[in-house]
Amino acid sequence: MVTCLGDMFFPEVGVSVTRLLRRLGVTVDFPLGQTCCGQPLFNSGYHAGATRVAARTVEVFRDAEHVVVPSGSCAYMVRHEYPALLRDTPARAEAERLAGQTYELSQFLVRVLGKTRFKASVSGRVTYHDSCHLLRGLHESEAPRILLKNLEGAELVELPGGDECCGFGGSFSVRLPEVSSQILDKKIRNIEATGAACVVACDSGCLMQMGGGLGRRRSKVRPLHLAELLAGDER
Amino acid sequence: MTTRTEFLSRIRTEVGKTPGLFSARTAPRPSDPRAVSETIKRELAERWPQALERFQLEFERVAGVFHRAASIAVVPQVVAGIARENEVRRLVAWDAPELGADLLDALTARGLEPFAMPPGDLADATERAELRRRVADAELGLTGVDLAIAETGTLVLRSGAGRPRSTSLLPACHIAVFDRTALIETLGQAGVFLELWNRGELEGRIGAVTSFITGPSRTADIELTLTRGVHGPKEVHAIFVDQVIRG
Amino acid sequence: MSETDLSVPFRRRAGSALGDKHLQEALTIATTKFIGLRRDAFDEFPEGERLRDLAREIKEATLQHLDRYVEQLIDSVERLGGHVHYATTPEEARRVVLDIAARTGARMAVKSKSMASEEIHLNEALEAAGVIPIETDLGEYIIQLAHERPSHIIAPAIHKTKGQVADLFAKELKRQVAADPEELTRIARVELRQKFLEADLGITGANFAVADTGTVVLVTNEGNGRMVTSLPRVHVAIMGVEKVVPSMTDLMVFLQILAKSATGQKLSVYTTLVRGPRRPGELEGPDEFHLVLLDNGRIRQIAGPLREALYCLRCGACLNVCPVYRQIGGHAYGYTYPGPIGILLTAMLEGPGSVKDLAHASSLCGACVDACPVRIDIPKMLVELRREIDEARIAPWTERLAYGLMEKVLASPTLYRWSKPLARLLQRPFARDGRIRSVPLAFTEWTRTRDLPALAPQTFHERWPTLK
Repeated sequence: MVTCLGDMFFPEVGVSVTRLLRRLGVTVDFPLGQTCCGQPLFNSGYHAGATRVAARTVEVFRDAEHVVVPSGSCAYMVRHEYPALLRDTPARAEAERLAGQTYELSQFLVRVLGKTRFKASVSGRVTYHDSCHLLRGLHESEAPRILLKNLEGAELVELPGGDECCGFGGSFSVRLPEVSSQILDKKIRNIEATGAACVVACDSGCLMQMGGGLGRRRSKVRPLHLAELLAGDER
Repeated sequence: MTTRTEFLSRIRTEVGKTPGLFSARTAPRPSDPRAVSETIKRELAERWPQALERFQLEFERVAGVFHRAASIAVVPQVVAGIARENEVRRLVAWDAPELGADLLDALTARGLEPFAMPPGDLADATERAELRRRVADAELGLTGVDLAIAETGTLVLRSGAGRPRSTSLLPACHIAVFDRTALIETLGQAGVFLELWNRGELEGRIGAVTSFITGPSRTADIELTLTRGVHGPKEVHAIFVDQVIRG
Repeated sequence: MSETDLSVPFRRRAGSALGDKHLQEALTIATTKFIGLRRDAFDEFPEGERLRDLAREIKEATLQHLDRYVEQLIDSVERLGGHVHYATTPEEARRVVLDIAARTGARMAVKSKSMASEEIHLNEALEAAGVIPIETDLGEYIIQLAHERPSHIIAPAIHKTKGQVADLFAKELKRQVAADPEELTRIARVELRQKFLEADLGITGANFAVADTGTVVLVTNEGNGRMVTSLPRVHVAIMGVEKVVPSMTDLMVFLQILAKSATGQKLSVYTTLVRGPRRPGELEGPDEFHLVLLDNGRIRQIAGPLREALYCLRCGACLNVCPVYRQIGGHAYGYTYPGPIGILLTAMLEGPGSVKDLAHASSLCGACVDACPVRIDIPKMLVELRREIDEARIAPWTERLAYGLMEKVLASPTLYRWSKPLARLLQRPFARDGRIRSVPLAFTEWTRTRDLPALAPQTFHERWPTLK
């Protein structure tokens, strides 16, 4: 599952995931016609619409053995919200199956495949931002850190306030843009204070927010998805 | 105005509409609080030195001042010392039976101006007003202790005849005297005593209030700067008496 | 009392707060401090997690039989000679208190901190009836002098500098006052001591009420709770009906985690258990004790979507960790209860329409759930409120249209596929080197302070054939 943001704005993340998994011997397929997990609709309260989009997504992934998604928030949506959301629809059983088969990327690498050592695509210091849904929704703070600490060629530096929200929150970023920006200011100050060359995250939403702020400031710090860091691809 | 029946009936209706969010139970209660409390006391009779050590640590952490006296006879000396340091003399104390000893003469002999809160009901409003004025004027308040909780450095005081609430509240300096029989270890154990004390109706001369006191009055409401003695005492002293007071 | 002007849109109120330098500094310092204190307290307390689970369970178990426990509480209080009153609305609650004040000839009432009394706007009603209400919690006293509402559930004057406080005291006392917290505290002690001794009526809230024994529990640090319940002749406690706990054993579970969550203290300085009016033999204590049980939207939520919000202990931990609260403070929210739980409580008290903007004052980050001693799932209920708002069609038609369009595109692979060349066309005037620096309409808000990535030259869908 490449995610809507990934498909449209960060296809290199999907490319990295594909290369990474294939190098580990995994057969990777990409069901065409996937669009979005429906979270933007769900989070804003448009549940009828979210249900329709979710039902489609469930259908698209009907034959998948494992579904890997480079996004904590999308993985959370499928694993934790799909069963309840689709409970009163014909897609109910399939939704529950899909929920059990869907993994965020770092969790898949570390906890399913048991692979922890990779070569970094950039050298030097990297710092890591804990995406809210991965950290608190999926209770995962370890898997990304295991991967980052075992990275050949790069050194992990802990981000002060790394577990604090970046201010994205989907539509929040445009409904309350001043508050979202001020939250982002704090995040960027913390990032720059680490002296890291890159800030890594497992969620394209966060990377869009942080990258948007870093770019506007013409900062030297580069936002990078974990997949890109691990795949050894240069952009 | 809403009546009891209407109010309860509305709650009942809403409760009946839902099984709730998940299977849940309240905390298991001791079926015989008296027996459990006696067990606690028996165990503490062995472990009291460790409990005391912990109590002192926690009490001092919350800015309590800890003293130790060999016997109740030494207490007036300790109290006088505290009074001298603060340059004060007027002291209000619990009635002697509540403290476990009559210390007024010894305190007077050491230059203090003590008086004890009388037991019983004073029907006379003038007397009540006079007493209130004297209490408000007092600079030191001397009380006993019902429980001393080691885990948190907390003093538990029950109000009642001869042991009014103001003694540990109005004077700027509160001095509490206790011995090993008051020591318990945890808040959980305190709960057992609360179950015991509040079983059925309140008996005898026991009052309506139980106060858990953990250090002197404080606030951080102004710029998060910690200050003490907002409304309650600025200082809390605990005098541990080695020799059990009520022999 | 000056209220936040609700006619000013929330976004603008938030904007003012962001521009207030004093407030920003105060918020950063206070919330950071509280976060640290809470974390240290729980780091030192290994049983903490188990007790939080137990506390949550007790709250749920109590709600499942709330009628039984409330009835037990009433009987317990009445057996001790106390009086219980039932207030469905704020109006009724105010009337109960005013009637008691009138009947007992009260001219001045001292109040210990009570969010419930704020909720029902009691002070204005007392003043109008000629009863002077005096807030005695230092923070509440300060904001009373300033004619403001509290900006934080447990630290009401956190937005005020010591200079501002000194000015307030100077105006009230008509003399010079140093901007020194020690001195200011000493002044408050002396001024309020007189009030405690003279007041006819003491008004408190209740952190808990124990059904088994009829005991009202007050958790304070200053001692005003003890004063207010011991010195005046009459004591009135106003309490939301959900605050009842079944037994003393249950109470101890909450006491072990409440202060730690709020301020990092093992226990607050004073935990005061008040079991009715003064007993025979007691020199002090009120002759009359009244408990006012408050509904104000709570009872309807027992079977409603905001049921879990009834677990709330009013500790304020969620405020301290909320990225939104930390930036805008309490007043911008505009209602009695701010912060994450405040949005839910406002919806409970005033209806979902009241939070059509506030329900979106959250990035759904979940920090609040982590901090909440009883693990209330606030984000889940915020999403539920957003759903209710959508169902009620309160959002602007432009927004509903946009989401309707989004749904159509995402539900149809064909439309989704066609949307990309369309997007590329539309973005052409704005995209340079893969970035969009400014764009009109919906995403203007984004691009004011952030770059937006342009649509990728090739989407992943379009690249897949080469990767296969």
